[in-house]
Amino acid sequence: MGTFLSKLQQLFFPSAPSHSLEELQQRFLDNYSHFRELLTANNNALEAMAEMEQALLQGRNFSMAFIRAKSTVVAVNVFKMIENLRYVADGKYSALVPAYETIQREIDALLDQGPEPVDGAWVLPLDAVNRASVALSGEKMANLGEAGHVNNVSIPEGFVISSAAAQAVLQQNRLLTEINRIFQQTDSHNLEDMHRRSHDVQQLIQRCTLPDELEKEMYKHFDQLEAKYGAPLEIAVRSSALGEDLGHASFAGLYQTELNVDREQLVQAYKTVLASTYSTRAMTYRLAKGYRHEHMLMGVGCLVMIKATMSGVSYSSSPGGDSHYLDIYCSPGSARGIVEGTKETFLVQVSRTPPFTQRDSDRNNERKACPLTNAQRTLIATTVMDLERHFGAPQDVEWSIDSSGKLFILQSRPISTLFLEQDEPAQQIHTDAQPLLQDGVTACPGGGSGPVRVVRNTVDLLSFPRKAILVVEHPLPEWAPLLKRASALVATTGSAAGHLATIAREFGLPTLLAVKDALKVLNNDQIITVDASHRVIYDGCIKELCVTPATSQSSPMQGSPVEQTMKQVLHHITPLTLTDPGSPFFRSSYCTTLHDITRFCHEKSVTEMFRFGERYRYVKGAAKRLVDNMPMEWWVINLADGFSEGFNASEKYINISDIASSPMLAIWNGMHAFPWKGPPQVSFRGMGSILFQSTRNPGLDPAVRSAMIQKNYFLVSRNYCNLSVRLGYHYAMIEAYISSLRTERYVTFRFKGGAADEERRVARVALLTDLLNEFEFRVDQIGDALTARVEKRSLEFLYSRLQVLGYLSIHTRQIDMVMADSGQQQRYRDTFSRDIKEMLSHDGHRFP
Amino acid sequence: MTDTDSLDAAQKVSLLMVDDELEFLETMHKHLSRKGLQITTADGCSTAIKAMEADPRGVIVMDVSMPGIDGIQCLQKIKKHWPKSEVIMLTGHASIQSGVQGMQSGAFDYCLKPIDTQELVEKIELAARKFLANQKR
Repeated sequence: MGTFLSKLQQLFFPSAPSHSLEELQQRFLDNYSHFRELLTANNNALEAMAEMEQALLQGRNFSMAFIRAKSTVVAVNVFKMIENLRYVADGKYSALVPAYETIQREIDALLDQGPEPVDGAWVLPLDAVNRASVALSGEKMANLGEAGHVNNVSIPEGFVISSAAAQAVLQQNRLLTEINRIFQQTDSHNLEDMHRRSHDVQQLIQRCTLPDELEKEMYKHFDQLEAKYGAPLEIAVRSSALGEDLGHASFAGLYQTELNVDREQLVQAYKTVLASTYSTRAMTYRLAKGYRHEHMLMGVGCLVMIKATMSGVSYSSSPGGDSHYLDIYCSPGSARGIVEGTKETFLVQVSRTPPFTQRDSDRNNERKACPLTNAQRTLIATTVMDLERHFGAPQDVEWSIDSSGKLFILQSRPISTLFLEQDEPAQQIHTDAQPLLQDGVTACPGGGSGPVRVVRNTVDLLSFPRKAILVVEHPLPEWAPLLKRASALVATTGSAAGHLATIAREFGLPTLLAVKDALKVLNNDQIITVDASHRVIYDGCIKELCVTPATSQSSPMQGSPVEQTMKQVLHHITPLTLTDPGSPFFRSSYCTTLHDITRFCHEKSVTEMFRFGERYRYVKGAAKRLVDNMPMEWWVINLADGFSEGFNASEKYINISDIASSPMLAIWNGMHAFPWKGPPQVSFRGMGSILFQSTRNPGLDPAVRSAMIQKNYFLVSRNYCNLSVRLGYHYAMIEAYISSLRTERYVTFRFKGGAADEERRVARVALLTDLLNEFEFRVDQIGDALTARVEKRSLEFLYSRLQVLGYLSIHTRQIDMVMADSGQQQRYRDTFSRDIKEMLSHDGHRFP
Repeated sequence: MTDTDSLDAAQKVSLLMVDDELEFLETMHKHLSRKGLQITTADGCSTAIKAMEADPRGVIVMDVSMPGIDGIQCLQKIKKHWPKSEVIMLTGHASIQSGVQGMQSGAFDYCLKPIDTQELVEKIELAARKFLANQKR
C-alpha cells in the first residue's frame, strides 16, 4: 500500500531532482541566459512579422527578395525560440519541432515556386494563334492572332516562337537557377546594382545556344514567308511575354523590338528580345507592379514588316474621359516614333459611331493639321470599334497603313489607365507664382515639385535622386526605371499615346510632354513645380499644386503575383490561433502558424522561469511578497540581478526600495501616479450582466485556482520585467526588456477578459486600443483580447510607455461594467488621456 | 549574470570576419575597428581555419556563400574544433532552409546582406556575451 501511495505521489507530485546549491545556481543562470535569447528572438520575429503585414496593408511596394528576407528572419528566430524553450523546459515540447518543420516546408514551397512548365509547339504560325493559345504565344501575339480572326481586320503574316521554346532555351543552358541566384542577390533599391546584374543576365542569354530543333523550326517558318514575299525578307521581332499587355500592367515598350531583321540576324534578334525579359526597365517595372522575375517567360512574334506610309495609335474610348469619342494619334511613316515619343504626332478625335464625325475642338498642337484622309479616318475608326466589340473592352490599338492604302493592326490591348480631359488651353491657376513655361500635352494629370534633373544617358539615369523632376528630350521607354523615383516628368517631345506616357499614367506620375523649351529654360537643381493638369511649370515649390492624380491605382501591386505570394506566405506566419493559455488547445501540437509558435514558446518559457524556484526548491528563485499598501498581492521573482545587492535572498518579503529592475520601477510608477478611484457605479443591468457571465465562465470565479492567477507576479532582472496581473476579472500581462542594445528592447502588453458581457468587454478593449494607439503602440485587437507592442525605440520612450501601461492596468479595471454607455466611455477615455499626459509631463522619473 | 549596457563584451573578445568579397571585408574592418573591436579578416574557409588554429577567436562573422568550402561546411568545422566560439552567418541570398541549416549547425545568429551595421554590431555584442559566459565555466 505504501509503495502504491508513494508511486501515486511521485506520479502527481514528482520530487525535485537533487542538485547542489551551486549546480542549481548555475542551472538558473543558464536558463535565464536562454530565456533572454528566446525573448530577443521573439522580438526580432514579431518585428519582422509586423513589417510584412504593414507592407501589405499599407499597399507599399515590396519585392520577392523582401518576402524571402523577412520570412527567413521570422523562421530563423522562431527556430531559436524553440531551441531555447526546450532548453529551459528540460527538453519538453518536442511536438513543436514537427509543427515548425511542416510550416517551414509550406513557406519554402511558396517561395521557391518556379514557373508552370509550358507544353506545346516551339514555333506556331501567327494565323494559328488566338486568345486560347496565350500560355504559348504570350499576351501580345495571342491578342494579335485573335484580331486577325475578326472580319475585315488585317494583321501582318508571321510566326510566334513560343514560351515553351523560351523555357527550353533556359533549361538547355541551365540558366534558370543562375538567373534566380543573381536576382536574389540584387539590391532592388539600388539602380546601379540592378543595372549591373541585368547586364550580366542579358549577356548570359545573348551567349547561350538554342536547341538545334528550335533553330530549324525558326528558319523553316522564315523561309516559308520569304518564299511567299520574296527574298530578301525583313521581319520585325517583337516581344510577347506572359502577362504583358494586360489591362492593369501594359509593360508598354519595356521589352525589346528588333526591326528589319533578315535571315542571318534571326537567331541573334530572337536572343536579344528574349534577353530583354531581364532589362533594367522591365525589372524595375515588374518590381513596382509585383511580378516575379522567375515567372516571366517570353513568347516572341516574328512579323513581316509593313512598309508604312502612315502609322498610329488609337484608343477606342478616349482616355480623356469623354466616352463618346475615340482618339486617333498618327504620324507619317512607322509607329516607332509615336510610341517612343520622338516624332511629331497628330491627334484627331472622332465619334465612336458612324459616320465617325470629327470632334469640333482644337485643344492643343496634337490636333493641328491631321494628315489622315476622311476615308482613312473612317477605316481606322471602324476597325478599332470592331476590335472593341470583339474583345469586349476599350482597346489601345497600334496600326500602320501601307502604300496600297491597306490598314494593318500591329497590336490590340486593353487600355491600361484613364486620364483626365484637357480641353482648356494651358492655364495658370496660381497667380502669385512665376510661370516658367506654359506649354505641352498632359500625359498624366496632377502636380509635382522638386529639383530639376536633366537625364540624357545611363550615367544620369543611375545617379537620379529620388523625388527630383525628371526632364528629358524624348520620353523614351528607357527612362521607365525613373518613373517610381521622380515627382514629375517633363519632355520636349511626345504625346499621350507614347509608351512612357502609358507607364507614367499607370504609376500616377504627373507628366507633361511636348514642352518645346523645357531644356532651354530648366536647369539642374532648380526647384520647380510642374502642374501637369493645367500644363504650366512654375518656379519654386508650390505645395497646393502637388496633387496625386485621381486616376492612379491605389496600389500598383494590388492583385499582383508577388502580392498573392505575400498573402499566401503570411497565411502560414501571422494568424494567431493560440490566444488563450488556459485553453486545452493551447498545446504545441496545435501550433499552425509561426506566430502561434512564438506565442506558445513565450508563454511556456515565462511559466518555466516562474516555476523554477518552486520546482527545484531554489530559494533565490522563489517569489518574495512586495510590501505595499495597495489592496492586492504583489509577488516578485528575481531572475538575475533584479534585487539590490544588499537584499537577503532568504527573506520572504521585499520593499520597493530593494527592487533594482528599471522596467518594473517604471510600471510601478505608472500604477501609483494617480490613486484608483474605486469601481465605477454600476447600474442594475450592468450588475446583472456580470452575475450572468460569472455563472457561465468558471475562469471568472476568483475561487478557481491557477498558478499565476491568484497573485500578481513580477518576474524581474535589472533590465527585464514580466508582470502577470489579474485585476478584477481581467487578465493583463506587461513585459519589457530595456537594454542599451536596440535589438533587445521592447515593451509588450496583453489584455483579455472582464466580468461584463461580450459587448462591454469588447468596448473596453476598443477604448484601450484607442488610447494605446494614441501613445504610439502597435495594437492588434481580436474580440475582447488585445496585444500592444513597441520595440527598438529610445530608452526614454520605452520607460514612459511602461508608465502608461502601469497606469492603464490599474485604472481600467472593472470599467467594462459601464461600457454600454457611450458617454461614460468618452469620459473615461478623456480622463485617462489627460492623466497619462500629465504623468508623462512630470520630469524626474528616470529608471535606468 | 548582469545585463551589460555597452559593447563591453564585444570589445573584450577577438573577432574574425570571413568573406570572399574583399571590398566588403575592408569596409567592415574599418567600421568595426572604429567601434573598438579587435577584428581580423579571412577571405575563405581555409584561411579562417588557419587563423583559428593560430589564435582561436571568440566570435566569427562568416558569409554563407563562398567559393570552395561554403559557409555552412566551414561553420560545422569551426563548431567541431572550437565549440565555444560563436558564429554569426551572413547571407545576401535569403533562404529559410540555409538559415535553419546554419542554426542547426550551431550558428549563434543569422544576418542578411545588405548589412545593417548597427544590427550586426549588436549581434556581435550578444554573441560575445555568450562566449564570455561560457568561458567562465
